[in-house]
Amino acid sequence: MKDKTIRRVLFFFLLISAVLVAVAVRAVVNINRSMASSDWVNHTHSVILELEGLRADLVFGDGALHTFVLTGDARDQAAIRAALNSVSDHVDIAKALTRGEPAQNAEVAELETLVDKQGAFMRDVLAAKQGGNADALRALLAADAGRAAIQEINQKIKKLKDEEMALLTERDTASYLQAQTTRWTVWSGVVLDVLLLGGVAWLIRDDIAARQKAAIALQAANEQLEQRVKERTAELVAANAKLSSENLERRWANQAMEHQLRYNNLIINSITDLVFVITKPLNISRINPAVSRQTGFDLSEIVDLPLKKVVRLTATGGDAMFDPVARALNDGRDLQDQPALLVDKRDRTIPVRFNLFPLRDRDKIVGGVVILQLSPTPRA
Amino acid sequence: MKKHILLVDDEAEILEVLKQVLTLEGYEVTAANSADAARKVMQSAALDLMITDLQLEDSDGLQLVEELKKVKPETPVILLTGVFFDPNVIEKTLSKKISGYMSKTAPLKDLLGEVRRHIGA
Repeated sequence: MKDKTIRRVLFFFLLISAVLVAVAVRAVVNINRSMASSDWVNHTHSVILELEGLRADLVFGDGALHTFVLTGDARDQAAIRAALNSVSDHVDIAKALTRGEPAQNAEVAELETLVDKQGAFMRDVLAAKQGGNADALRALLAADAGRAAIQEINQKIKKLKDEEMALLTERDTASYLQAQTTRWTVWSGVVLDVLLLGGVAWLIRDDIAARQKAAIALQAANEQLEQRVKERTAELVAANAKLSSENLERRWANQAMEHQLRYNNLIINSITDLVFVITKPLNISRINPAVSRQTGFDLSEIVDLPLKKVVRLTATGGDAMFDPVARALNDGRDLQDQPALLVDKRDRTIPVRFNLFPLRDRDKIVGGVVILQLSPTPRA
Repeated sequence: MKKHILLVDDEAEILEVLKQVLTLEGYEVTAANSADAARKVMQSAALDLMITDLQLEDSDGLQLVEELKKVKPETPVILLTGVFFDPNVIEKTLSKKISGYMSKTAPLKDLLGEVRRHIGA
């Protein structure tokens, strides 16, 4: 999105620059043309000025000629010569000015012929006056009655002036059209550039709006993610706390069990009476230290031995002596304070008092505890 | 401000488990593994509750209770007892000296309940 917008903006700026360059080139060309038109105007005015000067000098010379004929004053004669020279100069300048315009140049050439002819006439009049040839003078002046030559020159000058003015008008029109074209070009360029700048502004605004939208979306996504992380962290913390709590519960329960077991063992192991734990088939499964001390059997030697190997009830006698124990265990009854004999590792017998307590596990008899109390009776 | 509990027991496992449990419950716990260590805390810190084992290697828990009552008579005491002790006997003989008692084999939640009962959550 970013690169695309930048490319578009660059393209628009290139287009704007191209339009500006085109307008500038067009304006420069038109300015050059206007300057050329201005030169032409000046040129036309110069031609007209020369023609007017020619006409004025010619009229002045003609006036001086007629005065000289009447007065014969040398100053008039000098004025005539000066006027003729000036006329000649005007013709030369007009020819030079119209060199680039063949039609006008031809007209000036015709004018020059007429002027030369008039100049020759004036010189002839001067010569006749100076020579005192009155007849010749009268004849020359009579031939110029109504000043037809000067009239013709005036008409030619007027025609030339009209043509120059027509050219001037034509060039003014062209110049005006060029100015109009320049204005149109400049305004079109300005309008086009404004439109293009508007397009660029729209693109940039669109891009900024898209970026803002993206930023908002990103922020929302971040917030959502942060919220999820928080929730997940809270869940993990809660789970961890629960685990810790459960772990501590287990540890406490274990220590409680271990404590109870340890103290129970301590109690059992501390008493001086002989304690046997027996299974239901009447085999020894556990003893307290007093049994080992009294009989000389190690725990490993005595465990799993039948109880009858180490304890005999004296009251029953014979093989049937354990029957009361088996029956009591089966019935779940206690046997208390029965006379009995303890047989030690060396087969010596020790008189004891026999007590049996059945062990119940949820109302089911799983074995029994036999406690032998040492009888005060001396050993047999 | 967190309530301060002084915990006295010479069994490391009990001391550690109880300290963690009570800390998780939001209490400030100082653990002492001997009567001597407990005496130092009793002298130097403000206490909201003392939980002590009845039988300590270097002293008697009841003696420790007597010493605490001299220094901080208002501080409640929970006595931790082992399986040797009959609750009924403790109730009858020690109720004037201690605020409560708990067996070390009792469930943990019961012990926490007893603590809350004396000093709140």
